[in-house]
Amino acid sequence: MSTTPQVLLLARRALVQFPRNPVLLGFSVMPVLMMYLVFGGLFAGVSELPGFPTDNYFEYLAPSAILLATVPGIGNAGVALGADFQSGYFHKLLTTPTSVGTLMLGRLLGDCLRLTVQAALVLLLAVALGAHVETGLPGAMLMIALGTLLGIVTFGALSANLAIRTRDAAAVQAVQPMAFLLIFLTSAYQTTDQIDSGVLRTIIDLNPAEHVLRPMRELMLSGYDWGDIATGLLVIAGLGLLVLPLTARNYRSAYS
Amino acid sequence: MTAARELDELVRVAARFRALTAGLVDDAIVLEDLAKTYADGTEAVRGISLRLRSGESYGILGPNGAGKSTTIGMLGTLVRPTGGHARVAGFDVVADPVEVRRRIGFAMQQAGVDDFATASELMVLQGRLHGLGKQESIARAGLLLRVMELEQVAGRRLAALSGGTKRRVDLAASLMHLPPIVFLDEPTEGLDPRSRSGIWDTLDQLRRQLGITLVLTTHYMDEGDRLCDRIGIIDRGTLVVEGTPQALKATIAGHAPRRVAITQPTMEDVYLHYTGRPLDAGPGYEEINDESRRAA
Repeated sequence: MSTTPQVLLLARRALVQFPRNPVLLGFSVMPVLMMYLVFGGLFAGVSELPGFPTDNYFEYLAPSAILLATVPGIGNAGVALGADFQSGYFHKLLTTPTSVGTLMLGRLLGDCLRLTVQAALVLLLAVALGAHVETGLPGAMLMIALGTLLGIVTFGALSANLAIRTRDAAAVQAVQPMAFLLIFLTSAYQTTDQIDSGVLRTIIDLNPAEHVLRPMRELMLSGYDWGDIATGLLVIAGLGLLVLPLTARNYRSAYS
Repeated sequence: MTAARELDELVRVAARFRALTAGLVDDAIVLEDLAKTYADGTEAVRGISLRLRSGESYGILGPNGAGKSTTIGMLGTLVRPTGGHARVAGFDVVADPVEVRRRIGFAMQQAGVDDFATASELMVLQGRLHGLGKQESIARAGLLLRVMELEQVAGRRLAALSGGTKRRVDLAASLMHLPPIVFLDEPTEGLDPRSRSGIWDTLDQLRRQLGITLVLTTHYMDEGDRLCDRIGIIDRGTLVVEGTPQALKATIAGHAPRRVAITQPTMEDVYLHYTGRPLDAGPGYEEINDESRRAA
């Protein structure tokens, strides 16, 4: 059997497996939707400040909420891999004519599809709250794609590497709150012009997530800025070039 | 345990699908000075050489830590050897791991199952990854579950099943592609006597009916005695002795390691004779004994 059907079979397994764990299902979607509603309500007044790009704060907040769904959410792929190592199932799969790369790709594809659905739920809630996606459906899809890709090269890679190193699902789960730090240290809740601290503004400028969030927000509020979209994709590609060889090396050690 | 009618059906299916056995060489498995040293310097296997004929049932016996699982892991392409060579079904385990995997089934010491899948789903996925079509996988999973008398758990998630049942599902999944060679790592470790006996019956019948080459590791001497044509005793990563259970026992009949001549030796006696320590002593036996002697 060639690699592609195997990847699809393994992706299907990831998709079937996920809703069977009610805790994982509930806690990967509900907190994001609740945070979106709570933060949107709490900070709604920010949109009345002069120069704020929209008068609907939920509209401003939607791309950040997508990142909140995709970046920590992809970490569940690592948790599932850790569980497969713990149970011995990862090695059982390796006794079939497949490869570590195929197993990884299958898991990743399944989780990406799941995150796409979750991110779409966030956008649907935003629209229900009166938000408008300036670039329409194609822009919304690009927004979700950018958020998912950032998730893969940050917490996807981190959790996958932790899974192979620790072979412990709980250890992988323990680092997931770090994902929130990555997102909170961006212009997620207010524009950088409104942040007084110069140090914080510098940190935000250095945060790769900010350079992906920026084009996502433009897709939501103003339109296609191809320069910023290219910057976002370059940041993702750069992170990918850093983490993917490391991940490949770690996974080769699964067969040692 | 095994349902006879279903087993006959499985034999017919095997006859239809066992194209892989057509090209199988006489020596199903060949090890030449096979060795494994882990990154931390542990020499788990120190150069083992042996040959297994097609259709043979071979037991690798030894205590925990002797190197059994590492040896079988190398043959199953799960552990990379650091020395020597091994060929399984005519293919080198390092150069052609995928070809080896097409021809082997592997049931692990820790039943490697997906707790969120049902028994049937797990087996169908295993079959599909081996290249079986969807309908064929579903049919074969159903047949194997009946053979193993597991049809009542087919639709149940594995998380809800007992350890013994999971082991049987894992074993059934290993047979989905009807491999000519099956590796079993401690197949009855931790099971109650009834479950052990049931698995032995099943393995014995499957081996005889399907003609598979069976390699199992165990530290249960009665298991080796019951299931294996030949037995190799491994101690500290080295193959100490091998032969048929009867021949091994015959070599020590009349010896008197316990000051009483052995008239009806067991495999335990064989192990004690060739390694100088009882099977359940474990790797640290000499050190503890030395300390005891010094204290005396």
